[in-house]
Amino acid sequence: MVNEEKWMIEAEHVCYAYDGMEKKALNDVTLKIAGGRKIAFMGENGSGKSTFFLCLNGISRPDSGRILIDGSPVEYSRKGLLDVRRKVGIVFQEPDDQLFSASVYQEISFGIMNLGVDEQTVRREVEQVIRELGITPFQERPAHALSGGQKKQVAIADILVMHPQIMILDEPAAALDVRHTKMVHEIIEGLTKKGITILMSTHDMDYAYEWADEMVLMHDGQVICQGRTEDVCEDETVLRAAGLDQPAVLKLYGRLTGRGVIPRREHPPRSLKELEEML
Amino acid sequence: MIVIDRLCYQSGLRYVNASEKFAYAVLSLVFCLVSRSVWAPLLIFSVSGILTVGKGGIPLFRYIKLLLIPAGFILIGTAAVIVNLSEVPLDAFAVPVGGWFITGSRASVFRGIVLCFRALGAVSCLYFLSLNTTMTDILGVLEKLHLPPLFTELMMLIYRFIFLLLETASSIMISQESRLGGRNLRTGLRSFGQMAASLLILALKKSGKLYDAMESRCYDGRIRVLSRENPPKPKEILLIVLFEAAAAAAALFL
Repeated sequence: MVNEEKWMIEAEHVCYAYDGMEKKALNDVTLKIAGGRKIAFMGENGSGKSTFFLCLNGISRPDSGRILIDGSPVEYSRKGLLDVRRKVGIVFQEPDDQLFSASVYQEISFGIMNLGVDEQTVRREVEQVIRELGITPFQERPAHALSGGQKKQVAIADILVMHPQIMILDEPAAALDVRHTKMVHEIIEGLTKKGITILMSTHDMDYAYEWADEMVLMHDGQVICQGRTEDVCEDETVLRAAGLDQPAVLKLYGRLTGRGVIPRREHPPRSLKELEEML
Repeated sequence: MIVIDRLCYQSGLRYVNASEKFAYAVLSLVFCLVSRSVWAPLLIFSVSGILTVGKGGIPLFRYIKLLLIPAGFILIGTAAVIVNLSEVPLDAFAVPVGGWFITGSRASVFRGIVLCFRALGAVSCLYFLSLNTTMTDILGVLEKLHLPPLFTELMMLIYRFIFLLLETASSIMISQESRLGGRNLRTGLRSFGQMAASLLILALKKSGKLYDAMESRCYDGRIRVLSRENPPKPKEILLIVLFEAAAAAAALFL
């Protein structure tokens, strides 16, 4: 299924400590991620997810260990950084930390302008992403008049317009209402269809369980488990170690099979709908 | 300031080419200032007002209220020109006070009135620009005029972050207020100081995060962005040229 030789992201013994901090924010992180997959990063606040993300596009430089993107190690020269940031885009958790211009159009054009593309292409790409992500109705409003959800849409467009191979979303649904959470999830679904590798950190276990191909559980700056979502979620001990709970569907499935209401299947249900179909 | 910002996004003239509006405002301003009669300023004041209220759709009441702010200063300033304290009465008016007169000459009354109109006309030009043009568009024009990028980039960031700063400050103040931070003058002053201090720290943190986010989009020290252009319309340009010619004539010959 997956070509073992070809990894999109490889991290080898990555350690990182913030300036003046004794404790390592990342402590010997090693993992491999194949291209085109959906990866959920889970773990408590301060477990190192965001720090790891910043290492992936060279914002933070590991104290030791190395990171390979698409087979080539991240180089910290001007050109090397430009190269890795072209490939790896990060949508930050707080849109107000990311949007720097009051104009939506200017904001979205910033990243792609930095790639040295000609003006006409920039305009075409910006217009397209505005349409694609449903930004049209509020595109003429200033950033300070946008709602949290709208800012998030713009923040995603910021990165998408650069056509990264890997897109990192740091808690994309944090502080969003139900409608915008759904919208963001739909957008993410669309990204996967384009073949973009997606890394997403989230605390929403039910959503992660339904969405992700793979899960990476982090705790205290270490990866305590990486594997297929099904396998990770079966393992209650490791979930507990990461401060997580089993997804509701899986819990219910466990009880139902325990009581003999439904027979055990090879693959447990991934969503409520699948469980319903089993019943 | 916030009111003006909110209004300009709703203005009916918002999508008129920004350079046109800028040219109208600046040229009119210049003719207002060089004029030695009331006619050019009067013309400019009425046209700016009609454009802003009629075409721009800024509520008349709002517009008058906004004009009243500088009008107060203008009147006080003009009074200083008209009114003199003198031992001899001058030809326009004279009010005896003890052995002296509060008085003014015809020439100075005339000068005061012209000054008043010139100032009001100039204000109306600037209001026309700021009530009908968004800050981002004005920055675009300044860029085209080859203002150093350092200035325009700073203005762009400042404009964006003024609102975030205000938002943060107001949420801190609300949370202080809900814990009786403004109980009396003493605690009020202390709360304000603490708010200012934490605002500084938050701003520093935020700037660090913003820098990271910009770097991750390949920022290299120069903010390059594109704006949506509103192409200039020949008809509008013609009207502006004609009007400015009339204003110039009024300013120089009337």
